[in-house]
Amino acid sequence: MQAVTNTVSLRGASVAVPVDHGHEYKTLLADISLELTEQRIAVIGANGSGKSTLLRLLNGLVAPTSGTVTVNGYDTARDGGKVRSQVGFVFTDPLSQLVMPTGREDVELSLRRSIRSGAERRAAAERTLERFGLLPLADQSIYELSGGERQLMALAAVLSVNPRILVLDEPSTLLDLRNRELLRRTLAGLEQQVVLSTHDLELALDAERVLVVDAGRIVFDGDPAEGVERYRSLCEASLP
Amino acid sequence: MRGHGFLLANYVPGSSLIHRTPLWLKFVVLAVCGVASFVVVDWVVPAIALGVFCLLFLCTGAGVRRLASAVWPVIPVLAAIGAFQWWQLGGPVAARIVFNVLVCVVAASVLTASTPVQVLLDGVASLARPFRRFGADPERFALTIAVMLRSIPFIAGAFADVRDSARARGLEHNPRARVLPVFITTVAYARQTGEALAARGLGEPDGD
Repeated sequence: MQAVTNTVSLRGASVAVPVDHGHEYKTLLADISLELTEQRIAVIGANGSGKSTLLRLLNGLVAPTSGTVTVNGYDTARDGGKVRSQVGFVFTDPLSQLVMPTGREDVELSLRRSIRSGAERRAAAERTLERFGLLPLADQSIYELSGGERQLMALAAVLSVNPRILVLDEPSTLLDLRNRELLRRTLAGLEQQVVLSTHDLELALDAERVLVVDAGRIVFDGDPAEGVERYRSLCEASLP
Repeated sequence: MRGHGFLLANYVPGSSLIHRTPLWLKFVVLAVCGVASFVVVDWVVPAIALGVFCLLFLCTGAGVRRLASAVWPVIPVLAAIGAFQWWQLGGPVAARIVFNVLVCVVAASVLTASTPVQVLLDGVASLARPFRRFGADPERFALTIAVMLRSIPFIAGAFADVRDSARARGLEHNPRARVLPVFITTVAYARQTGEALAARGLGEPDGD
């Protein structure tokens, strides 16, 4: 497996959203500065801590209200199209992501921008589905697939355009144990840099680096085992 | 969320004569059906056309059940329209209107049952290509069709879910309990779809 080298930089990135009819602002992320170069990075933290906002910054779905975010030199706020061609994003619920009635059609839809010829596109989609063992499910309605199959299908649709970085927002939340394990193995075999948020601490321990987010700030950045321990102690401290 | 209800039939792989018919011809036939519904004044012609299109649909191998499920969602609306027209303008006019709408629905179902979605989108993008000189992006036309095809079953599913939850709470006769949640769900769905498309870079201008 040939690892792809990337540099994702956040410099003083903050995100605030207007509340109370724009009279006040709520800070979702405050002054984040990071260099993400490792191949496997996990982001953990409580619900509402800012994990998803942090991930959305990485492919320009959310623009920083102050500071900058760059991916391999491209500014996510200015060069959104170029950034998104390098950064694939997988959502928690695959049904929000799969646009077409079947997996095959959805993978082909992903490929429309890069491959103009219909025949070549069909062949490329076939190869992608085969690679993930999804060919037998390719023509089934996405509503007939299990949660795990849908998540893998969404992953295949994103990876079909070969992004350099893969960002996943709580990809295992809706999965049972078997499908969680399947996803874990699939992610382990990817050549892409993977940045994911998760509540699955085993998945977080697979990473090379863990970020713990709490109330919009990075409160830990480093070794996965220590990060998970820090997250546990944060949770215990917040219990009544 | 249920997502199975669908006004048009999904693609059924096959090699029938209908499958092999060029896409442009299918588009032309569909357009003729639409125009004819305004021009033809006799109810017998659309009734015969409906029979022919039902036969063509069955030739695709999609089966009677899919035909019924494609037509079924419009029956309550057509029954109401037909009854009103009968009362206002008489039986022949009511029959003509109902048959014309059914012809269009079944003809569209023949198209979608015998054409893979990607081929359909390629066709739409080709049709939109002449508008490129005016700044239009043909791929966005295709994407719009793709989103529309996905949204119809979702919204139909949302109506079914909301109806069931209203029933469970004993609010089946409360129009607000049956309509408002569908609006909210649909707006949330539109936002999610927009975000998903943006995340995949779909709909962005070429060369960006």
